[in-house]
Amino acid sequence: MARGLRFLVLILSVASICDAATFNPISDSHRSAALELFTPTDGSLKSLEETFEALRTFEVLGIDKKSEIKGYTCPTVVDTLWSPSSALKDLFQALRVNGVLKCELNDEVFAGIASRLKDNVKDANSLLDLHYSIGSLKLIKGQTAEVDVHLEDADGIFRAIKALSQSDGRWRFSSNNPESSTYAAGIALETLAGVVALASHDIDQSLMDTLKQDILKLFDGIERYDDGSCYFDEKLVDAQGNWGPVSASSSIVRGLTSFATSTPESLNLPGDRVLCLAKFFLGIGVPGNFKDLYHQIDALASLENNRQVISIPLILSLPSSVLSVTRKDQLKVRVNTVLGSAVPPLSVKLMQIFTSGSKDASIIDQELKFDPETKLHVLDALPENVDVGKYIFTFEILLHDPEHKKIYATGGRTKVSVYVTGVVNIDQAEIAILDSDLGNVETKKRLDLTGENTIALSANHLQKLRLTFQLTTPFGRAFKPHQAFLRLRHENGVEHIFLVRSSGKNFEITLDFLGLVEKFFYLSGGYDIQLTVGDSVMENSFLQPLGYLDLDLPDAPEKAARPPPQPVDFSSKYGPRAEITHIFRSPDKRPPTELSFAFLGLVLLPLGGFLIGLLLLRVNLRNFPSSTLPAFFAISFHIGIAAVLSLYVVFWLKLDLFTTLKALGILGISLMFTGHRTLSHLASTSAKLKSA
Amino acid sequence: MRNLKLFQLSLIFFSSIPLLPILTLAFSAENPTDRRILVLLDDVSLKSSHSIFFSSLQSRGFDLDFKLADDPKLTLQRYGQYLYDGLILFAPTTERFGGSLDLAAVLSFVDSGHDVIVAADSNASDLIRNIAAECGADFDEDPSAVVIDHTSYAVSDTEGDHTLIVSDELIQSDVILGKEKIEAPILFKGIGHSLNPENNLVLKVLSASSTAYSANPNSKLSTPPSLSGSAISLVSVLQARNNARVLISGSLELFSNRLLRAGVQRAGHSKKFDKSGNERFVVEVSKWVFHERGHLKAVNVRHHKVGESDEPAIYRINDDLEYFVEIYEWSGTQWEPYVANDVQVQFYMMSPYVLKTLSTNEKGLYHTSFKVPDVYGVFQFKIEYQRLGYTSLSLSKQIPVRPFRHNEYERFITTAFPYYGASFSTMLGFFIFSIVYLYSK
Repeated sequence: MARGLRFLVLILSVASICDAATFNPISDSHRSAALELFTPTDGSLKSLEETFEALRTFEVLGIDKKSEIKGYTCPTVVDTLWSPSSALKDLFQALRVNGVLKCELNDEVFAGIASRLKDNVKDANSLLDLHYSIGSLKLIKGQTAEVDVHLEDADGIFRAIKALSQSDGRWRFSSNNPESSTYAAGIALETLAGVVALASHDIDQSLMDTLKQDILKLFDGIERYDDGSCYFDEKLVDAQGNWGPVSASSSIVRGLTSFATSTPESLNLPGDRVLCLAKFFLGIGVPGNFKDLYHQIDALASLENNRQVISIPLILSLPSSVLSVTRKDQLKVRVNTVLGSAVPPLSVKLMQIFTSGSKDASIIDQELKFDPETKLHVLDALPENVDVGKYIFTFEILLHDPEHKKIYATGGRTKVSVYVTGVVNIDQAEIAILDSDLGNVETKKRLDLTGENTIALSANHLQKLRLTFQLTTPFGRAFKPHQAFLRLRHENGVEHIFLVRSSGKNFEITLDFLGLVEKFFYLSGGYDIQLTVGDSVMENSFLQPLGYLDLDLPDAPEKAARPPPQPVDFSSKYGPRAEITHIFRSPDKRPPTELSFAFLGLVLLPLGGFLIGLLLLRVNLRNFPSSTLPAFFAISFHIGIAAVLSLYVVFWLKLDLFTTLKALGILGISLMFTGHRTLSHLASTSAKLKSA
Repeated sequence: MRNLKLFQLSLIFFSSIPLLPILTLAFSAENPTDRRILVLLDDVSLKSSHSIFFSSLQSRGFDLDFKLADDPKLTLQRYGQYLYDGLILFAPTTERFGGSLDLAAVLSFVDSGHDVIVAADSNASDLIRNIAAECGADFDEDPSAVVIDHTSYAVSDTEGDHTLIVSDELIQSDVILGKEKIEAPILFKGIGHSLNPENNLVLKVLSASSTAYSANPNSKLSTPPSLSGSAISLVSVLQARNNARVLISGSLELFSNRLLRAGVQRAGHSKKFDKSGNERFVVEVSKWVFHERGHLKAVNVRHHKVGESDEPAIYRINDDLEYFVEIYEWSGTQWEPYVANDVQVQFYMMSPYVLKTLSTNEKGLYHTSFKVPDVYGVFQFKIEYQRLGYTSLSLSKQIPVRPFRHNEYERFITTAFPYYGASFSTMLGFFIFSIVYLYSK
């Protein structure tokens, strides 16, 4: 937390130059944010505390939602106040809500609560308990005159609270809690203000004096930002992380204003402290959570409506800090209170104008005209020496009534950074290719930097490229833009940027390609030429493609640096890939079936020839055995051969080798047996014939 | 007495904190949206200045745990278990995190598949720069440089330095930015970065216009800016190989209520938008980062021969097969069918033999059929689905392919009929000859 709100510094410091920052008073964006953040969920707000915060914020911002909230909140308030067992905090919140809503309650309730609270005050030992009790009593005092709420032992209570204060002006929440908190200091001050208001007699003056010292010590510990705002930091964080600088500062402001209002004496707080706190709350902008919004709005409201016990801050703001010379914008200044309400008669003076970035100031001391209709202070024409550029204007607020000087804090001089913009004239633009050694102009083309240019140039490494142009402000002075780039982009995406430098109005850049070959990675080929000129005060900033340069550079030596890799297009990585289909092996070439059948016929022919031959030979079967047994064996033998041959056919048709071999084995054995018998019979027959 | 009670209550509350992560719905494969997110701030006020972004996350069911970046009790894991599913680093200036959190812890958080949003700003600390650099985004090294654009800036009455720039050069991706086009331009105020060209996982989501450059607006330029033109990335995302997602933004204000609510008018254009595109942009991008979109799962991978329904253990070459896979996309609350026409399956052995686009029935089922190549070996069905913004799908299923068996070759080839005829006629001739030879007289 110690480094809290650094982000805020960041926003503010980025938006500002030096310590010139603009703070705008509360506006409609706060109103719409409030309505958005305090929307009741399921018909009612979460707690009485939240309801009060919402009511308070709406009240300050001037949003009328009271009657709407009253409907569903009053029953809860009445319940809480009637119930004897309500916690102190709830009673306090209920009374706070009742203070705004004015629910129907009788004095009897208040009397009951008051006596209970008084008892509580006597034996309370924590700051919050005292805060709730005394706060409640004070609220009862405000809501009814009938109940006696005066504290008898005001000095004692005052001392009890004072006992919790620390040497640095901060407070502890209770005597057995050693950690001190800034938030608690605000609570304590508010409580003490309550004690003073409820006391039946005046508080001891010495006590008041020491308290004032404490307050001043507290302000010594204030933290400051560069932009002139300051805040109270909070070291202690509660379990929900709710206490930050906003709530701490807000609590202090609330405590301070209520304490200051309750005593007749002045606190003598310097006005600039009040102003810088106000700037802090305005610098937050529109907070996104409703606690912060409440703290912001409540603190600003306390600062504004403090019955003039501490100075009321006045905020000077510019509706527009970007002024265009071409549109002849007038310098307008608005002075408001923090909540954006009207201010006493005053005038605004433009004191000094600093040129940004330099210390010299021109002293103007010119009063701005007040326009009662728009409530703006207007400077008719910008001072003559203000050309386009960045400036810091110093304003001073002069209150017409000298009495008001004590009431309002104007913070002396206010610095505001202003941008004066205009159209810059561009003239005499020329692009030329020069010969390196003599500087002779090879080709020269005029350019129109406000229109389109398509120039085609070609050069080699012994030549130079020269670009010249002039920039002048609308008032005819030299203008130096922040951005003046010449960009050469090679076809493959490698880009080179050169700053175009100026002397007076003239801008000139000469690219000597001989010295640049290394930088260009020896990449020959087409380069696109682009010129970019821009500045925050130049209304016609531009990016102009000038044309095309065909550059002929020598070949890269082996050790030359490679051009940096260019980012690849991710579509190649993420797109679908080309489909792949497998190319199957093509089947072997086959002759046409007719040919096969023709050959089949040819192959079968010899068998026919064989059969015809047999017939011609007049073959007979006379040798076939005539007796029964040999005939049987002979028939079996031939059936066997036929079976083996058929087996081969079946093997060809469907059988596998193993089945075939098995069958062949069985057939073979019988074939061998029958064959042996048949052949031996035939042999014996022919032997008999021979011997016969 | 009351204090004592309070103490007791708080004791119960704090002792139950370690139990909370167990009770809450956690990140899982079936429910990939993140649930618990640690938000590190370098300033408490960010909670309120960026409340719209945070409340949009909370309203989508995220459990945000806000901590200061230098909180000494900071830790991402306890007993080896991560306490959070996501991390939002809104602490651009933090030089060191408190507790046990450091660069290595953040990187291992990403390495274990968790998501991170990192927002830098001008004066970003080295720590934040290093985290971004590890993700492939290099911020401009000049600490005072911011992105300036004199042509494409937001017209404003109060900010004249053209550092509040507008850009509508968004990545073309429905999954990252939502289906609805973001009409209004996006306001940006911060620093630019360039993407490492060698890192192909990181993508430019929002880039600057070609006139932008990165420089210190308050000092004159002495050297050309290191970053310029549309090479400047304003917001980038990274999807790691483990599908962890990281968002890198050069601007913390991009997420702020101020810019979310601001109206925007681009310089030189007359059209004024009532509201910038920032809210849509940050909400949509955060949906993507925290896996409410673009998270795919593939289930029920099946394949079989055409005409059969059982998955075989092996295919034969030249078989016709059918391949099915179901792909669903997580919508943040449930799995919805993923519809695309570019899901491809590969039949892969060393290199893809077949690469085919799957057809879908629009209900999540993808299907194709093809012929097994005539090469045998151990193949894989492979789906390598990488699409911009989607989590990558990488499936592979191994399947062997065998050649024909001896009896599966073609029989009775016509061309061979002369040979068959020759054999059988010889056999017949032999049979007749054997009879004639034996018994003829």
